[in-house]
Amino acid sequence: MQKGNQLTRKIIGRFLRAISVAFWVMVLSFVMIRVAPGDPASARLGPGAEKAAIEVLRKQLHLGGNPITQFFSYVNELIHGNLGVSLQDGVKVVDIINRTLPITIYLILLSTLCALIVSIPIGTYIGWSGKGSLVYGFRGLTAIFLATPNFFIAMVGILFFSVRHNWAPVFGYDNSFPQNLHYLWLPVAVNTIILSSVISRVLFSSVSETKDEEFVETGIIRGVGRRRFFWFYILKPSLAPTVVLLSYMMGTMLGATVILETVFSLPGIGRELVGAVLTSDYPVVQGILLYFGVITVLLSFIGDLIAYLLDRRVKI
Amino acid sequence: MSEQPLVIIDELKIDVRLTRAKRLPIVDTATFDVKRGEIIGLIGESGSGKTMLCRSLVGTLHRRGAYIASGKLVFDGIDLVAAKGAQWSEIRGKQIGYVPQSALAGPNPVMLIGAQIEEAILQDKNFPKSKVKERAIELLNIVQIRRPEVVMHQYQHELSGGMKQRVMIACAIAQQPQLIVADEPTTGLDVTVQAEIMRLLLSIRAEFNTSIILVSHDLPLVNQICDDIVVMHAGTTVEKIPSKDITHAKHPYTRALYDSRIDLVEPKGKLTTINGQPPTVGSWPAGCRFSEWCNFVRDECRVPQTMPIIPLGPDHYTTCIRYTELDK
Ligand SMILES: Nc1ncnc2c1ncn2[C@@H]1O[C@H](COP(=O)(O)OP(=O)(O)OP(=O)(O)O)[C@@H](O)[C@H]1O
Ligand code: SF4
Ligand SMILES: [Mg+2]
Repeated sequence: MQKGNQLTRKIIGRFLRAISVAFWVMVLSFVMIRVAPGDPASARLGPGAEKAAIEVLRKQLHLGGNPITQFFSYVNELIHGNLGVSLQDGVKVVDIINRTLPITIYLILLSTLCALIVSIPIGTYIGWSGKGSLVYGFRGLTAIFLATPNFFIAMVGILFFSVRHNWAPVFGYDNSFPQNLHYLWLPVAVNTIILSSVISRVLFSSVSETKDEEFVETGIIRGVGRRRFFWFYILKPSLAPTVVLLSYMMGTMLGATVILETVFSLPGIGRELVGAVLTSDYPVVQGILLYFGVITVLLSFIGDLIAYLLDRRVKI
Repeated sequence: MSEQPLVIIDELKIDVRLTRAKRLPIVDTATFDVKRGEIIGLIGESGSGKTMLCRSLVGTLHRRGAYIASGKLVFDGIDLVAAKGAQWSEIRGKQIGYVPQSALAGPNPVMLIGAQIEEAILQDKNFPKSKVKERAIELLNIVQIRRPEVVMHQYQHELSGGMKQRVMIACAIAQQPQLIVADEPTTGLDVTVQAEIMRLLLSIRAEFNTSIILVSHDLPLVNQICDDIVVMHAGTTVEKIPSKDITHAKHPYTRALYDSRIDLVEPKGKLTTINGQPPTVGSWPAGCRFSEWCNFVRDECRVPQTMPIIPLGPDHYTTCIRYTELDK
């Protein structure tokens, strides 16, 4: 029917927007890494390398030449699914991403899941009860967590759990599933604390708004049972802003977890990106940013869609 | 069968908690009965406490920080002042149907209309699940919604004001409650829709012998369909009067309410308007709270006292101590 049409149109429109954003991310990453100071050849040869040697290497790496032609050949390669190889060690960019991205995604997914498990009960309960002392304590505590830099929380965690008690390894990683949790649990915990502070605050304020709505009172007067009431009259009408924010944050966390990856010596994609930027490794930087762009846009698209399906008041 | 009125409201006082120590009376006091199958029009200007009084009947005063301070509130033999959780779940949605004041914001925005009506139907735990859809459509037909099958699959933002109002009424009558409380069901709707909603309420009463408390600002409008009119002013029910006697009201405020409308229709009549602002909660004058606006005021009206309820007939009382002087 007409209604179905409208939804499909909205979805298609939003999807086209996602693709165009991805395109611009690609263009920007191409330009920015070249505008930034630094030269891959001198980076690879190290300080004190001879000028002549650097020139030779530059030639080998096809670094000279018209940037426009370079761009088109890059796009052409991309269309054929080729992200290129690292200028530093010749490893395929795809392989680098395949090695490092899962670690970061594990970190993000686990901490998102934990943050939801923590935030939904806390945010809803405090928002619904609206009790002055609780709200005050909640605001204060989350403000402290938000104001503290995550590396500081991470250091405290390491000092306590790794140095003092030896409950968590300080570095290293194991790629197979349950074993990796051993290395991940502390960074996940730190990330969860910060993520929960944001999410539970947003949920808290949505729930406290929902609570006073007329339709909620209608539900009470209709005598709706507890479980139904909790979902249809409290959580579902309050969830949309949280979902939108969360999906957006999950995207930005791809780059932002670099600090945690560094502190915990996790070989994630954030660290890989920083290393590539420092050595002006154009293909690696471009490849990683393109992944980030596409993932971020897709995530926020999915977030918007879920929010819309939950609550038709949301503009998609 | 039973001669007991369905609802007994007797000297009911509702306070709101402002701070830990500070209390403010909002309804002070309300007195009237609602008999079975009777339609009561509850009239009064904005802020006079009509909605608060209605909410006391469904036990949601606490959501506004208010509570029953004293007095009697009985529904079908149940003491609502002392009612506990289990009793409320027996009453809410089953014995009393409620159409909220802002019915435009009444439907749940994250549920399909059909789901809400079905939810109202299924408050009766024994209702057969297979018949729910059929019954929902039947209810939408009763409230005269066209193309109910389509509306069932819509969200509230796709409906017009009048349709939302009808949906809320459909939910309210789903269990064939003994009492419907309709808080300003016609405010904000255009005149033809107002008349249709009024007729709808009448037909519901005719079919199910439901009692209805109909809240409104518009005395002449509701006077056409109500049995009795209860007039509220500054938290007090100042007069209860059978609607057929409305032209012989024994309280100046009732007269003013009625006349200010008549003047619009018949310019010949003497202009009687209520001058100035209504008294605000917390700054009510001592004695008769209408004294500052009353043309009949004497010093005796301002003597601090609780105005007495003066019975004038089986369904008629006034709180104006000078009611005998009004027609002189
Ligand atoms: N929590 C509160 N604190 C203080 N005053 C309140 C509170 N809730 C309601 N009031 C006051 O109580 C009075 C009665 O409110 P109520 O909603 O019952 O009026 P009403 O007769 O329904 O008015 P309207 O016709 O505008 O709906 C109003 O003056 C309102 O300002
Ligand atoms: S009691 Fe006095 S002031 Fe009040 S309505 Fe009657 S005449 Fe007017
Ligand atoms: Mg009201």
